Amino acid sequence: MDKKVAFWIFLLGTLSSAILFLYLTFDTHKQVKVLTKVENLNENVVAGKKVWEKYNCNDCHTILGFGGYYAPDMTKAYKRLGDENIKDILKKPDVIFANSKRKMPKQNLKDEEIENLISFLKWVSEIDNNEWPPQHSEKRISRTALRMSLSENIGVGAALFKVKGCITCHSLQEKEEKRGPSLAKVGSSFDLETLKEIIRNPKTFNPSSKMPPQNQLTEEELQKLSEFLLSLK
Amino acid sequence: MEYKSQEIAKFYFYPALLLFLIQILLGLYLGFSYSSTIPQDIVDVFPFSTARAMHTNLLVLWLLLGFMGGAYYLVPEETKREIWSSKLAYLQLIILLVTGVVALVGFFFGWTQGRPLLEIPRPLDMLVVVGALIFLYNIGMTILKGSQKTVILGTLFGGMIFLALLYLFGIPFYKNATIDWYYWWWVIHLWVEGAWELVTGAIFAFVLMKLAGIERSVVEKWLYVEIGLFLFTGIAGTGHHYYWLGAPKYWLWVGGIFSALEPLPILLMVIDTWNHVKHRKEEIKNPLTWTLAVGTAFYHLLGAGLFGFVHTLPAINYYTHGSQITVSHGHLAFFGAYALLNITLFYFVFPKFKNIEKYDERKGKIGFWTMSVSMFLMGLSFAVAGIVQSYFERFLGFSYMEAQLYMRLWMQIATIIGIFFLFGAIITIYDLFNLKEKKFA
Repeated sequence: MDKKVAFWIFLLGTLSSAILFLYLTFDTHKQVKVLTKVENLNENVVAGKKVWEKYNCNDCHTILGFGGYYAPDMTKAYKRLGDENIKDILKKPDVIFANSKRKMPKQNLKDEEIENLISFLKWVSEIDNNEWPPQHSEKRISRTALRMSLSENIGVGAALFKVKGCITCHSLQEKEEKRGPSLAKVGSSFDLETLKEIIRNPKTFNPSSKMPPQNQLTEEELQKLSEFLLSLK
Repeated sequence: MEYKSQEIAKFYFYPALLLFLIQILLGLYLGFSYSSTIPQDIVDVFPFSTARAMHTNLLVLWLLLGFMGGAYYLVPEETKREIWSSKLAYLQLIILLVTGVVALVGFFFGWTQGRPLLEIPRPLDMLVVVGALIFLYNIGMTILKGSQKTVILGTLFGGMIFLALLYLFGIPFYKNATIDWYYWWWVIHLWVEGAWELVTGAIFAFVLMKLAGIERSVVEKWLYVEIGLFLFTGIAGTGHHYYWLGAPKYWLWVGGIFSALEPLPILLMVIDTWNHVKHRKEEIKNPLTWTLAVGTAFYHLLGAGLFGFVHTLPAINYYTHGSQITVSHGHLAFFGAYALLNITLFYFVFPKFKNIEKYDERKGKIGFWTMSVSMFLMGLSFAVAGIVQSYFERFLGFSYMEAQLYMRLWMQIATIIGIFFLFGAIITIYDLFNLKEKKFA
């Protein structure tokens, strides 16, 4: 190989990679609009991003996995904590983390800044980012349920029925009433989609239902649990 | 020294070494923050975030000072003429240092752009751009008027232009966080796995050529192949940062495939360096420079190549992204690929400033080995912490802080090793400032 061949390796290697990269950048710009739901990216969200940057939050916290690694990731913080908890933490971190081994600096944010920051975190939590982080993924199944499923040789849905506490209020024996109705034959009364809907929003089926909505289940858990219930005929 | 203006390099290298020292001290504060509970009153005044902004910006600043000083040293020898304007070179240095000092003091008082690694506020970014333009103009004019145009010069200058252009993508305010991070990586990734590889590749080739007395055509041929492979794998390899930020799914494939190839050019560099050592034509006057050069190549492969590769594939990165595994890779890669390169360059150039033929190498060797071994052990400790963190937090679903407590021991170990690293650095810096002609008994 002489220097001329080496030069062509350099030129073609660089150009091919650059062209591919620039083309994909162009395409990414188009797709990001859908993936990040830009229709929800309003003024408050932008103002919230500025608050996030003004207080250098990102050099302790990560967001989308990027930043300092000294404090929790904020990608799904809105779903994890909700409005009120985030507000409390931002207003008095010294009190909230009084017993924590790691402290958060007092930032003395204005109420308006807090509102905007929450809008920003809410918008970020809805970005379609391939189900990251894994512990907050909608495809996740409780590790306790998985372990029980393996050790007791039962289906994942049945294990979830026990682990998630359904069994406290619902019997699987016919005609045995606990707090809620027996589910021994529930699969013959409803289809899969209706079961899912009832678990998430019990009141849509029976307005006087006392069952709490099961929002903590991930999509995958809801699916497995509903499949299990459907099999009870 | 053949040319008077090569002396400019000295004034870039001295502050670089000082900043390196401050960077390590701040690093120890960061390690200490992980290892113990810093009281609320201190956290309110000097939070982790401020110290981290300083730690990382100091790193970038001292490395860039080294690269620029390196350029001022090698360009005259390559072009066979003095630097176009020494005055401009010193003006540029002053601008750069003033920007750096104002930025660091500003961070302390909360003046920041608020984006990791790019914390320098936008008004100061303008000064950075002015400094960069002066540098490019000065080096560009020198090359233009020079009687010799070489591949080393082309690679160096091309890399510097690429470096400056990429910085521009880090300046605007982006409304969309996903787009923001997309271009953030154009600065961070394409710097360290693109532009910086060109600049340091050129500096490294120059040092090797001079040390070994190897023919230019051989050195430059391999330089072409190396930078070709670096850019081929590195540009599209940016995709390994686009897995989880809300970009299309094809990045999992593009990022995974191209970044899996990223160790190849580094491997080639190691083999290439080794060959130069074997086929050298000059006698070895100062074996330390060779230890450093070979050490740089191997550490580059270890930190950037191997430790990058272990968590670059999407299936693994899903659990390790944004954990201490990243910290482990970051430390080993920056030390191996760039910090060691600068130290090699300093040990090559400093004796020439003082007209020293042969110097006493004992302190230099102790410094190199202390730093290299402690950084390696520190990287391993971060990696174990990262594995513990990934397992408990990402896999089992424990809360962030619970997982942090399980890995705390490893952060404490890393911090203690950091103190050893500090000693290694102090010995090295002291030695560089005090090199003396070795007297024969």
